[in-house]
Amino acid sequence: MSDISLIISYIRPDKLNEVKAALSEVGAPSLTVSRVSGRGSQPATTNQYRGEEYTVDLHEKVKIECVVADTPVSDVVGAIEASAHTGEPGDGKIFVLPVEEATQIRTGKTGTDAV
Amino acid sequence: MLLQLDPSAIASGVNNVWILTVCFLIFFMQPGFALLESGQVRAKNVGNVLMKNMTDWTLGVLVFFIIGSAVSAIVGALTDPTTPLSIGSAFAYINDPTAYVGWFFGAVFAMTAATIVSGAVAGRMKFSAYVFVVVAMTAIIYPAMPGIAWGGTGLLTGNGFIGQILGTGYLDFAGATVVHMVGGLAGLVGAKMVGPRRGRFDSSGDSTPIPGHSMLLAVLGTLFLAFGWYGFNVGTQATVLAAESGSLAFQGGALGQVVMNTTLGMGAGAVAAMIVSASWQGKPDPLWVANGLLAGLVAVTGAVPHVTWWGGVILGGIAGALVLPTYRWVVDSLKIDDVCGVFVVHGSAGAIGTILIPLFGVTASGGYTFLGVNQLVMQVVGVLVIGTWTVFATIAAFGIADAIFGLRVSEQEEEVGLDESEHGISAYPEFVPNERRDSGVATDGGAGIQTDGGATENTGDQK
Repeated sequence: MSDISLIISYIRPDKLNEVKAALSEVGAPSLTVSRVSGRGSQPATTNQYRGEEYTVDLHEKVKIECVVADTPVSDVVGAIEASAHTGEPGDGKIFVLPVEEATQIRTGKTGTDAV
Repeated sequence: MLLQLDPSAIASGVNNVWILTVCFLIFFMQPGFALLESGQVRAKNVGNVLMKNMTDWTLGVLVFFIIGSAVSAIVGALTDPTTPLSIGSAFAYINDPTAYVGWFFGAVFAMTAATIVSGAVAGRMKFSAYVFVVVAMTAIIYPAMPGIAWGGTGLLTGNGFIGQILGTGYLDFAGATVVHMVGGLAGLVGAKMVGPRRGRFDSSGDSTPIPGHSMLLAVLGTLFLAFGWYGFNVGTQATVLAAESGSLAFQGGALGQVVMNTTLGMGAGAVAAMIVSASWQGKPDPLWVANGLLAGLVAVTGAVPHVTWWGGVILGGIAGALVLPTYRWVVDSLKIDDVCGVFVVHGSAGAIGTILIPLFGVTASGGYTFLGVNQLVMQVVGVLVIGTWTVFATIAAFGIADAIFGLRVSEQEEEVGLDESEHGISAYPEFVPNERRDSGVATDGGAGIQTDGGATENTGDQK
């Protein structure tokens, strides 16, 4: 098991602020956020264009990447899960991946020091 | 040859062509409002803002034709002891083609007042309730105001009940208060009654900005509006040629006064907002400058023929300087989520610019004159009367709309955006569908959840 973990989560866009606050509370304030679209358990919605309906099954989500070394992964996952939860389909998912190596560009530090 | 021409026919022809031209310019304020408001909302609400703006104009002209214009005449007669009330003559324009140009001239002003409201209530108001408010605005709330203030009959004119007491009529040339303050105050009251957008204020009540999705649209809309405003202000000087005792007189001085004050008021409003925003926030801010430009225009809209050129600069400058602090007061103290700042741009700027007219009075030769204490009192009374009517009439209209339709969309609908929840569309569709209908892919949500993906097998526990 690697010392460094990458936690990728896909959440509802309107939960971003709550998740950011929760992550800084558990000591993992550094993150990267992207606007993404994806398909999961959230039901497709129907839009219309000039009287024709079409199905939109790619929903707007926010992807958060969070790399931690010293902070327990379970704390981070728990914080995201609790703060992004609504109970409705479409709340999102969290994945944890091992990280082989890390380098901080400014200082040249590697390993857990870089995180 | 010239002696055979009827000077009054020439004057009438030229003046009516001018009036129609400025009406088309004023109509061009509609795309200005549509852009300005679209730019200041989130991308998920753009289609809804556009729907509201189109409804303001299209439904508004129908309502204003069937009833609104007649309401103006009726209210004017009811509040003026010198004018007998005649319901028949109030509606006479409907079957009189020679009255249509005049009706259209009134209509473009009415629809300007109506379309201001949508900017204040954007992002959370139910479309059905908004349609009801448009009808109320164009049938009664707005028409009553030109009824009491314009055309020589009505409460605030020299012939009206208040005008006779003070011996002077209310000065609001092109509608800084009659049009803009009505729209701005109605918007403020509407925004208060609908309540702030979700997330606009945090749990402790502090303001959290919800930035608009396009500064480009907002600023271009502002400049479109400024273009149309020349029709609004300069066009209200509707007499280009006057037929006097058999000869024609070009009204160059009157036209010059209004075009100069319109231009200087706009410039001063924008520059003042630039200076205030730079000193308040550290850097000059384009949205404040755009708002200041419009506030400067609103402030001089009632004043353009009545004040000196430097009066136009001062009025526009005051309104532009007050844009930022007044907006902060509305948000931070009143806790009202006025999305596009319509109260500060159209409401307070119109009131201030109109009340101060007598302090900067101009003579026919361009010199300075104080217009008198009675005129000053009349200006304050006029603003109070128009403001009071607008606040209470708007409360009634939104109250009825609330009872019939409900004012707000649900939290979920607001979150997903009014484009999808109210209209089933997306203003900026990100992905085009590869098939029109579901193809039957089920993801891990279980039975009944269908997507259109294009894969044919159930891939199980996907992301």
